[in-house]
Amino acid sequence: MRREGRTGVRTAGRLAAAALALCAFAGQGAHAQQRPLEYPVKAAFLHKFGAFVGWPSAALGPASEPMTVCVVGPDPFGPALDQAVRGQKVGGRSLRVERHRTVSRGAGCHILYLRGSSAQSVADGLAVTAGAPVLTVTDAADGNARGVIHFVVVGGRVRFEIDDRAAARNGLTVSSKLLSLAVHVRPRER
Amino acid sequence: MAPWSRMPEHWRTRLPLLLVTALVATWCVIAGLSERGHQRQRLREVVTQAEILAESVGAALVFDDREAARTALSALRANPEIESAGVYDASSALAASFAIEGQAPPNVAGALPTPGAARGRVAAVAPVTVDGERVGTVYLRSRPEPFWALAGRLSGLVVLLVMGSLLLAVIGRANAALRTRAEDLDEANRRLTQEMAEREKAEDALRQSQKMEAVGRLTGGIAHDFNNLLMVASSGLDLLDRTKDPVRREKLKNGIRQAVDRGASLTRQMLAFSRRAPLKPEVVDLTARLEGVRVLLERGLGENVGVELNIPEGVWPVEIDPGQLDVALLNIAVNARDAMPRGGRVTVTAENRPIGADGLDVEHVRLAVADEGEGIAPELLHKVFEPFFTTKGVGKGTGLGLSQVYGFARSSAGDVRIESEPGVGTTVSLLLPRTRKPLPVATAAPAVPLPRARGRILLVEDDDNVAALVQELMAELGYEVERAPEAESGLKKLERADRYEMVFSDMVMPGRMDGMALARTIAERWPDLPVLLTTGYSEAAAAALAEGFRVLPKPYRLEALAAELAAAREGRARPDPEQHAAPAA
Repeated sequence: MRREGRTGVRTAGRLAAAALALCAFAGQGAHAQQRPLEYPVKAAFLHKFGAFVGWPSAALGPASEPMTVCVVGPDPFGPALDQAVRGQKVGGRSLRVERHRTVSRGAGCHILYLRGSSAQSVADGLAVTAGAPVLTVTDAADGNARGVIHFVVVGGRVRFEIDDRAAARNGLTVSSKLLSLAVHVRPRER
Repeated sequence: MAPWSRMPEHWRTRLPLLLVTALVATWCVIAGLSERGHQRQRLREVVTQAEILAESVGAALVFDDREAARTALSALRANPEIESAGVYDASSALAASFAIEGQAPPNVAGALPTPGAARGRVAAVAPVTVDGERVGTVYLRSRPEPFWALAGRLSGLVVLLVMGSLLLAVIGRANAALRTRAEDLDEANRRLTQEMAEREKAEDALRQSQKMEAVGRLTGGIAHDFNNLLMVASSGLDLLDRTKDPVRREKLKNGIRQAVDRGASLTRQMLAFSRRAPLKPEVVDLTARLEGVRVLLERGLGENVGVELNIPEGVWPVEIDPGQLDVALLNIAVNARDAMPRGGRVTVTAENRPIGADGLDVEHVRLAVADEGEGIAPELLHKVFEPFFTTKGVGKGTGLGLSQVYGFARSSAGDVRIESEPGVGTTVSLLLPRTRKPLPVATAAPAVPLPRARGRILLVEDDDNVAALVQELMAELGYEVERAPEAESGLKKLERADRYEMVFSDMVMPGRMDGMALARTIAERWPDLPVLLTTGYSEAAAAALAEGFRVLPKPYRLEALAAELAAAREGRARPDPEQHAAPAA
């Protein structure tokens, strides 16, 4: 039942993704037309992914160290992100938000929202952090380059696709609960 | 069963009811406990379901994915137990809900439904936590349990209850049936006893009527005989006055004495015979007994019928009612007389018979009465023992005679045979089983020598002639006698002087007080004063004996009077009443 449901979701997800891709292709850079709640929702989602993803213990450092959420490129969230993480904890760790123009491999980000800019495209950012224990999050609104999690909007709601293969490459485990919510999952290699 | 029967009646009635009540109560407790356990189990199941659901909708709530939440909820459809379910976010707003058809989804007004059990439904809530943080709540409610499930669960217990109740009902009914049967049995037994008593009464009456019939048939002969005896006495007295020869006088006196003795013996027999007495078997020596009946037979059968008794010494004793034997013999003898209108001879013989003889499987005495009469036709022979069968003309016989003979023989464990040859004669044989019991010891005869007695006796007697004679007899014995003609004056004499040693009173007297009443009064007022009653009426004698008074039956000889007076004076124990009533041998 559950598997069928997931397959159904995936099929629907694929169709939606295709439609979104077409949409995105047609309306490139049409950010101004997006719904005003879209980015606060994404801001809220960002740190919540942390509860369903496992990092190698070495990557997180001592338990007192906070978990770092980085936004690379132009910040679409504004104060919404800071408000969303305030007082929240992931795995007992507090959260810290950092904003960067570009990202390097040793930047210390655990959750990395890649917007892409002229200084560093999304694809470049992904290439720099590939293999590092970083949960990369990309946005369909910013192009086709995909991190482990890729935001999409389906039926006016913020949803996401998951590239479990990329997660495995980065040494991360993604909870099946999260996978079940994804509109599309690229399964890890066997 | 013994403790059961010892139990009081009201306990026996209530016990099955109490047991059933106890059974039902126990059943209710067990069923209640079992049901509570079952409900707890159901609640646990629902809680577990809720926890599983909470676990699976955590991510959906976090990421506000209502479709995922609904999908998770719709998985519950597979569970027929669940009626409705709801997923609420952290602010208790309904995120997704599920309800089977016809049921309202859980409360959507913001407030969470309360968990618990109501109307057969079990509801549970489970917190939804992600990473240690509560992100929402899950509510789950079970379907009300269908009746058949409850019935199925309780059916085993119900069967036990029904079986137990049935068992108790069966026991109760069996007990009641047993009681009813015991009561029926009691009732039947009571009726039987009553019927037996009635039958006994009827048999007594029959025996008595048979006796009276025999007496009636003898009366003519006996009256004739009495006339003869009186003739002897009267002519003897006449002659006594005309002669002075002592030898001749002695002869005449003896003749008179014999005639009087014979008369006395005859009346005693008649009285004893007609006395109403219950059937009372005793060991009887036939030789002695038949000698006693001889007088009755000889006198009763008339002059042209001779009686011959052929009873050898050594005839075995038999256990019979002697009175009934007399009646039977008389009945047979009277039949014999009637069969010989021109006279003849009746022969009574007794003979010891071994086992097997006469078709009887015991040793017995065959007592045969043979006549030389006209005999009975063979086709009538088997009928003669039937009641009311008679060959005699109307008014001559009742047909009860031989039926009494038959009844007597059968009740004595014996039998009766009849052989007859027309023109030659008839022989009726009583077959009486031998008894090994000893003969009763003969009571010692009163001492023959009459010692001189002394003392004052009050004689109460209404008949002047008898009074004069008795006064003479008492004076002869040495007593001083004073006579009172009736009970009242006797009492007056007693009140005047306390100098009588004894009272000798007739029983049947005119006046307001008879001898019995007098004896009672004396026993009350002068308990130390001995009283001796006398009467010629056997009924009166029996009544007095029954009250414990000493009675001398009339007529009596001087010796008997002397012995009784002496015994009464000494206050000896009253002798056996039978001794008085029994005919003198």
